[in-house]
Amino acid sequence: MAEIKWPEKRRLIGTKVPRLDGPDKATGRARYSQDINRPGMLHALILRSPYAHCRIKSLDLSQAQKAPGVRAIVTVGQVNYTAGRKEGKPGWEFPVSVTDVGRELFYHGDEILAIAADTEEHARDALRLVKIEYEQLPFIVKEETALQKRLGPSTVPGKDASNVLAGGSRTEGDPDGAKKAAEVLVKGTYGVPVITHCCLETHGLVAEWESPKSLTIWCTTQAVPGTAGQLQGFLAGHGITCSVRCITHHMGGGYGSKFGPDIQGQLAAVLALVAKAPVKLFLDRDEEHLAAGNRPSATATVTIGGSRNGTISVFEAASYGTPGVGRAAGVNIGILPYVYEVRNVRISTDIVRLNHGAARAMRAPAHPQNCFITECAVDDFANAAGLDPMEVRLKNLPQNDPAAVTKIPTSFPALRNTIYTDEIRIAAELSQWKKKWHPPGKGPTKGPWKHGIGMALHTWGGAGRADNDVFVTISSDGSVLVQCSTQDLGTGERTVLAIVVAEALGLDPKDLTVVIGESQIGRSTGSGGSTTAPGTAPAALVAAINARDELFRKVAPKLGLKPDDLVLEPNKITDKASGKTFTWRQFCARLGVDTVRGQGNWIPGLSNLGVGGVQVAEVWVDTETGVVRLDKIVAVQDCGMVINKLACESQVAGGVIMGINLAMFEEMIVDEQTGRMVNPDFEFYKLGGMLDMPEIIVHMHDMPERGVIGIGEPPTISTAAAIGNAICNALGVRVPRTPFSPDRVLAALHARK
Amino acid sequence: MKNFTYYRPLSLEAAVALLDNRWGTTELLAGGTDLLDLQKEYIAQPDKVVSLTFIQDPVFTRIEVPQILPGTKPTVSIGAAVKIADIAEHAELKNLFPALTDAAAQVGGPQIRNMGTLGGNLCQRNRCWYFRDEHVLCLLKGGRRCFASDGENRYHAIFTKGHPCVIVHPSTLAPALIALGASVEVVGPSGKRTIELNKFFQAPTKPDQREHVLAPNEIVVRVLIPVEGLRNASYEVRHKQSYDWPLAQAAVAFRLSGGKATNVRIVLGHVAPIPHVATEAQKVVEGQTITRELAEQAGEAATVGAAPLSQNAYKVHLVKVAVKRALLLASGAQPDWAI
Repeated sequence: MAEIKWPEKRRLIGTKVPRLDGPDKATGRARYSQDINRPGMLHALILRSPYAHCRIKSLDLSQAQKAPGVRAIVTVGQVNYTAGRKEGKPGWEFPVSVTDVGRELFYHGDEILAIAADTEEHARDALRLVKIEYEQLPFIVKEETALQKRLGPSTVPGKDASNVLAGGSRTEGDPDGAKKAAEVLVKGTYGVPVITHCCLETHGLVAEWESPKSLTIWCTTQAVPGTAGQLQGFLAGHGITCSVRCITHHMGGGYGSKFGPDIQGQLAAVLALVAKAPVKLFLDRDEEHLAAGNRPSATATVTIGGSRNGTISVFEAASYGTPGVGRAAGVNIGILPYVYEVRNVRISTDIVRLNHGAARAMRAPAHPQNCFITECAVDDFANAAGLDPMEVRLKNLPQNDPAAVTKIPTSFPALRNTIYTDEIRIAAELSQWKKKWHPPGKGPTKGPWKHGIGMALHTWGGAGRADNDVFVTISSDGSVLVQCSTQDLGTGERTVLAIVVAEALGLDPKDLTVVIGESQIGRSTGSGGSTTAPGTAPAALVAAINARDELFRKVAPKLGLKPDDLVLEPNKITDKASGKTFTWRQFCARLGVDTVRGQGNWIPGLSNLGVGGVQVAEVWVDTETGVVRLDKIVAVQDCGMVINKLACESQVAGGVIMGINLAMFEEMIVDEQTGRMVNPDFEFYKLGGMLDMPEIIVHMHDMPERGVIGIGEPPTISTAAAIGNAICNALGVRVPRTPFSPDRVLAALHARK
Repeated sequence: MKNFTYYRPLSLEAAVALLDNRWGTTELLAGGTDLLDLQKEYIAQPDKVVSLTFIQDPVFTRIEVPQILPGTKPTVSIGAAVKIADIAEHAELKNLFPALTDAAAQVGGPQIRNMGTLGGNLCQRNRCWYFRDEHVLCLLKGGRRCFASDGENRYHAIFTKGHPCVIVHPSTLAPALIALGASVEVVGPSGKRTIELNKFFQAPTKPDQREHVLAPNEIVVRVLIPVEGLRNASYEVRHKQSYDWPLAQAAVAFRLSGGKATNVRIVLGHVAPIPHVATEAQKVVEGQTITRELAEQAGEAATVGAAPLSQNAYKVHLVKVAVKRALLLASGAQPDWAI
């Protein structure tokens, strides 16, 4: 078989194609997991720890069990209790005195049990009838407190001596010598708080057992086969052998927080089994904030030094951050200093574990934090040197790696300097940087408002991966069915598959039927690391070409033609030998009762990894009130070969909006007296609305020669740093921590006076 | 939420008859933008919910602007059931009382304004996140202390002296209405009475108190605003421009005669458990020509008595700016802060 390549002349790929499911979503026809209702379905809710740290002293379910409509109660202790397997019983057949009493709970929102009832209201009433005696235990919910009490004792899960863990350190070159030699040396502390994913569709699922051997879940997940597999494994751990099918046709966001069934998936599956009825269990907004993942905070004291001409010679960062009860650091010392090449480096980080919900992957894990830490410091260095920060960025970019240029010329190391230089130039043009940039605090004013402009860079991977199966079926009526078990988180993945197959078969994407989000279709990988399009688009191309070849093989003999003489063009098949042409439908009709099926998996050579990205923010700051008004964000983004320019631009705009919220509004606030999050809502956990959004200008830097690279994560990374730098440019003073609320802006202004 | 019996009386009198003479067992439902949340969070657990949405009494449901003739002292009447959106968009009200209509136009979001009513806006419960968390036993829920005093208090009161509970009153219409000299007509078991709006609010300290002085079996019928030809304006500082509470608000009203401001009223919102009348600021402005300098002095004077908590000193500064800008707006100055 000839090597499969992307077509040289692309009719659809790289153009703007409206997403296939747009009308369904706009009209409400699209059924999300939360829209699924099954005959006889029960509604389940979870009871959660009211305390930041406690132990269950006693647990009395008797009243709840007798409450109207209650059909099943299952505890977390029971679903975690696998010791009973040797007795041949699943965990939920053991009494709670064995499974739950004595269990320690580590945060406000930690799961205790779930109740399934005929209505949601009955389930909620029953939750309130569960009688629990708690032993309250010491907790720490503020990073500063944990750092002061570095010596412990630990209040979080695990056997560590303290809540504070060393997160690693790294030294390169001679940072002390470089600091002494530096002509310009600045030191500052920068930070971002814990924020949450805020998926508009909260976590959850509907679980239904068709038979004791077969479970179907309609689950909002970014890993369709993975979630089915995890749940199957969980049930097997309790001695239940069954197949699990996961369906996720439409999804309202995941952002890294939805890679598995989670505890609510386990509870729903067991409740449905015990109650012998389908069970719906979705989290409420407060539960979503408390227990469905968050992004670790990061705070770093950064010292950055170099020459008066802007060459950075030393970068030091002493940092910490909290993953809640989790263990994943928000500061990744491996990617600091972010983007830039610096010879002398000293970096350390502490992981501060607190009694609040655990961190999960969140859209570009660790990158927004490390970008903020680095890029704010780079601007402060440029400001101290009296230089245009854009020039300082250009001067300190990593060089194209000569070895890579020779060996793999389309790789990111071979191109990184070129990509960033091009993108900075484009961003500068689109934002009129040269005209609008001014020394900090010296820009235009309108009454009390001061103007500022700021820039930041970012990078990401976005590789394709194997184990993504796409199937293309052609029928004699000319219809084409494209199937993959992968998921569309709202990204436009469904349309990506249609574009690739339509391109290869000379058809219109609208004419294809795309079925995704069903685990039984085949293998696919979770949507993490911006890998979905680069993982599935090559598989779709292979599947389409295989289907086309099979079509030619089957039909050519019936027409007395040779398959090798056939050429496929848009809606037309031509026989090179005779010059005879067929429409697609005419040709397919010759299949008769037969169909053609092409299968494809990811192959190397069609996708790539490593992207840059540049964002410029323009702001006005009211120096009297501290209110920041965002005027414009320019986002220049590469992702190799753009498949759907429209969806890519939307992805970038969405990433920017998420970055704006990190910059301006979001913060998980946990009260030190009660250990409870005080803003598990969308009232005081703030997200920007329409009036808070600036003009967003997106430029896709298309590099088709690189193959497909993921777009989901990179565009959210540098927005907050760019806004922070713009505010600093406006005021001539650094607002060191997000969100850039009026109190923080005023504090920075008043500190200068 | 806890189960309840739902009533929908057809008259105010019938509604009053359904109300208990103690707090907590009955609740009034108008737009529902506050009550339903309170019930879902188990902060309100009434046995009876009395809907006001079927009462057709025009005094209760309409805006009446009388003909304004020289030498008369007309009064505008706004029914308690009037939607906030209808106040915001009312042409004559916009002309007479921009302080009120501007404040109304910025309440919540379009959904809140289209459901929420004037009466509900005045009688809504406070937004303190400790009060709204069922598991936190604060003063207003029978507990022994105010958690905000020593806790997360960035959005709480800065005029705290003598207030064991440091909520801020959530209404932005109230400061505007107080500045305009409005009063409230209420109906109870013994008929109607009228309360000056500046005496309508109280700082609650225990479960059987609300943020206002109504008896549990009284209902707001309408708000009466005298048409006195006052210059008036409201200015609020917000973190978000879409759907957010103000961090601080100032509403001002005064008579402008011969270039001098008299009958000056300056009322602050979102800085105290009740709308806060800034008497020192009023004194600064009374009888003076409003200039930028004077407006700034008034702003400074408005902060007299402020005793901020651990996280909200910034609000003291915002009060100064809000008062200055509201005064300049009302005086007809070109706002240099408009962008």
